[in-house]
Amino acid sequence: MKVGLFIPCYINQLYPQVGIATLELLEKLGVDVYYPQGQTCCGQPLGNSGYEDDSKGACQVFVENFKAYDYIVGPSGSCIYHVKHHFDILEQTPEVKRVRNNAYELCEFIVKILGKTDIGASFPYKVGLHKSCHGLRGLKLGSCSEVMGEHFSTEEDLLNEVKGLQLMPLNRKDECCGFGGTFSVFEEAISVKMGKDRIKDHLDSDVQVITGADHSCLMHLEGLINRNKQPLKVMHIAEILNSSL
Amino acid sequence: MNGIKKEIKMGREAILQSIKKNKPDLLPLPQINEKAFDEDINLLEVFKNNIALVGGSIKEIETKAIDAEIKTLYPNATQIANTSAKTSLGSIKISKNTDPHSLEHIDLAIVEGELGVSENGAIWVTAYNSIVRALPFITNDLVIILEKDKICLHMLQAYSLIDKRERDFGVFISGPSKTADIEQCLVVGAHGAMSLTVLLV
Amino acid sequence: MNHAEKAEVFNKDEAKVNWHDKALWYVREKRDTSAHKVQGWEYLRELGSSIKANVLSNLDEYLIQFETNAKKNGVHVHWASNAEEHNNIINSILEKHQAKKVVKSKSMLTEECHLNPFLEKKGIEVIDTDLGERIVQLAEEPPSHIVLPAIHKTKEEVDVLFQEHLNTKPSQGNPEYLVSEARKHLRDKFLKADVAITGVNFAIANTGGFVVCTNEGNADMGVHLSKVHIACMGIEKIIPQEKHLGVFLRLLARSATGQPITTYSSHFNKPDDGKEMHIVIVDNGRTEQLSREDFRASLHCIRCGACMNTCPIYRRSGGHSYDYAIPGPIGSILSPGKDMKKHSSLPFASTLCGSCSNVCPVKINIHEQLYKWRQVIVKEQKQPVVKKSILKVAGVVLSKPSLYGLAGKSARFALKHFPRFMIYNKLNAWGKARDLPEVKNENFDEWYKKRNKNG
Ligand code: SF4
Repeated sequence: MKVGLFIPCYINQLYPQVGIATLELLEKLGVDVYYPQGQTCCGQPLGNSGYEDDSKGACQVFVENFKAYDYIVGPSGSCIYHVKHHFDILEQTPEVKRVRNNAYELCEFIVKILGKTDIGASFPYKVGLHKSCHGLRGLKLGSCSEVMGEHFSTEEDLLNEVKGLQLMPLNRKDECCGFGGTFSVFEEAISVKMGKDRIKDHLDSDVQVITGADHSCLMHLEGLINRNKQPLKVMHIAEILNSSL
Repeated sequence: MNGIKKEIKMGREAILQSIKKNKPDLLPLPQINEKAFDEDINLLEVFKNNIALVGGSIKEIETKAIDAEIKTLYPNATQIANTSAKTSLGSIKISKNTDPHSLEHIDLAIVEGELGVSENGAIWVTAYNSIVRALPFITNDLVIILEKDKICLHMLQAYSLIDKRERDFGVFISGPSKTADIEQCLVVGAHGAMSLTVLLV
Repeated sequence: MNHAEKAEVFNKDEAKVNWHDKALWYVREKRDTSAHKVQGWEYLRELGSSIKANVLSNLDEYLIQFETNAKKNGVHVHWASNAEEHNNIINSILEKHQAKKVVKSKSMLTEECHLNPFLEKKGIEVIDTDLGERIVQLAEEPPSHIVLPAIHKTKEEVDVLFQEHLNTKPSQGNPEYLVSEARKHLRDKFLKADVAITGVNFAIANTGGFVVCTNEGNADMGVHLSKVHIACMGIEKIIPQEKHLGVFLRLLARSATGQPITTYSSHFNKPDDGKEMHIVIVDNGRTEQLSREDFRASLHCIRCGACMNTCPIYRRSGGHSYDYAIPGPIGSILSPGKDMKKHSSLPFASTLCGSCSNVCPVKINIHEQLYKWRQVIVKEQKQPVVKKSILKVAGVVLSKPSLYGLAGKSARFALKHFPRFMIYNKLNAWGKARDLPEVKNENFDEWYKKRNKNG
């Protein structure tokens, strides 16, 4: 099984440690991982801003980069969601279809494809899980509070096996953080308010570390936490799963 | 008036034409699999709980005890309009020709319900039951008498049970009138009845 | 002002935002609890959605069937292509009966057609009888929510309003007292009304009847006490058969307020002896929306308001920030179809979180339609130059890995070397309340190359 590692643009530039943790984690799990050069972006920021047509080039680059792999794995639910959902603007060649079908968010790949939940990590902290909307409602990584049915959560399955980690229950377990890509700047006031409210929920729930499978939400939350000097650390779930503290 | 008629006609044709032009290809009407909603529950108990949930009160009694029960429940009611043969109470005569405005000061109305729905505590009351359509709404307090073997599981069943009826006016009533329009505070007693008592016989 | 600007104003008072958010979240929670109690809830939504899809695909036939049956029942049926025709039809009925006093229960359609100001100009008294609507009517404001029209008002504000208009005593916002005063005030209006106007929740093709749902009993009080009943409905309110009410009435109130059903679900088929019943069937842009394949499912809407209650943006920006008769997520996909220029900011007032689509009892893919409207708006509306050029350039850069390598480096360079005051200037909306990420010395690409060399 050949896996192509997809490192979203903002992680590549601003959060290399998340990319590193993802790669190390996959290697630890015995996966044959490759990192294709020349990755740019999945096109999501353009699509969400209404410039989907201008994103075709980026989408095409993505397909070119990853068409040779059995699976494409990335540490960002919303980018993967974009590939799966919005690459319908490309001509649906067998290659495009294959890439869309085989793209997986990291946690889902570990649980569903590798069939593992305990990966021997330890992380002795109180952790709050931020479920990104695109991961949760888009990729269906877990059950949503609005939908009636059994509870499940891919990220929780993984975190529950981490030694010493205490997963803290939140008041609103899957409310949006307010990032929303360009929403974060074009609707600045609401975006900030939503983020502040999410952070307050974690603080009220005694959380020490906020984590999630989508670093764009985390970047937004971290920006607020740092500005307001709040006693919370923000880490991508790959970093926690790759820890042996 | 002629001008208006013509305009209305135009509206009709224009709308229907536009729909014809713009609608998608025919999509099937789904079959409803009622089995998906089956539940093995005690209809009567759930019905009672739901009446309480929607702000009503409910009591199981024998038909002959109705008069006494109502007198105890509403000792001060003097203006009583009753349309049920199951009780002899009633101080106000009511007929199809009663001007509803004259019912403005009714203390209590007693009507029969035809059907209860356990999933939501709703009771089907028709113009035949209330004689005057306004009665169950304009009264201060409302008593509905319902036979306890007339309770069904959910609304789909309810509609098949009332399917064969004279259709003029009917209403599902679930509890007393209420509002939460002021800061989401639930206040019972808006424009319709201030209270609802269901007597199960 | 666009949505973002109005939202910013609303957010000046953070305590009020918190209050508003909490009030609506509470309703959303009640909806969850209530839906959990229903065996087969998701299947019920599925049914609701596919019945509505069938309705839209056969709408003309159903409307004709409805009309035929309603006429058989002695109901007058009128058709209006737009708001103006709708208002004129109502006015002509009022004129015929020399009606001067009208009581009106909740109808978003008459709100959409601006019926009240139209009739008031003709010297007719129109009283909104739903308590929430009466409150906003007295305050001379539009409703801020389709089910909870006065949700933006605190009880203290209502208290002051009632003192001014209904001569109530100061009560520090005692809801029981205020409701009882409103009851007295409106009872008088019901008793004196000539004509009652109501909306229509569902119109049934195979019987010609229609259903109106209220909790307060205001629709019935109005209708049964006046000589004439006028019911106004959008063409999409049709359902094929009466038994389908068994699906929709199970969904509606639970989605709206968490009640298992509204207090009154009134089924009107025939006018009472000696009275008149009219139905006005209105298009007003709906057939145009029907023509838009990507957006037609928005016509499934049964106006439950659940998408508003769950929307994290609606809860924190208030209904008035949408500046459309129907606010919130559903308003944001309906309004651009009516006036794209005016409402072009609404599809962007969302993080596309998708919660609205999940709560919607008729499964409208609201967040996907928001995404699609964005694509349409960018093409058809003039875009701010800066935004446009940034995104166009980004499109080019992202399609060329070599260019992208350079751009990425310079972005990081800027983050690292520019002093804070440069980055956190006025134009930097990110930096107003948030720090930028700390910049590392190397990006993942560089790290990876180095590792491979060493390894
Ligand atoms: S779009 Fe759906 S959730 Fe929103 S008001 Fe309409 S029916 Fe309710």
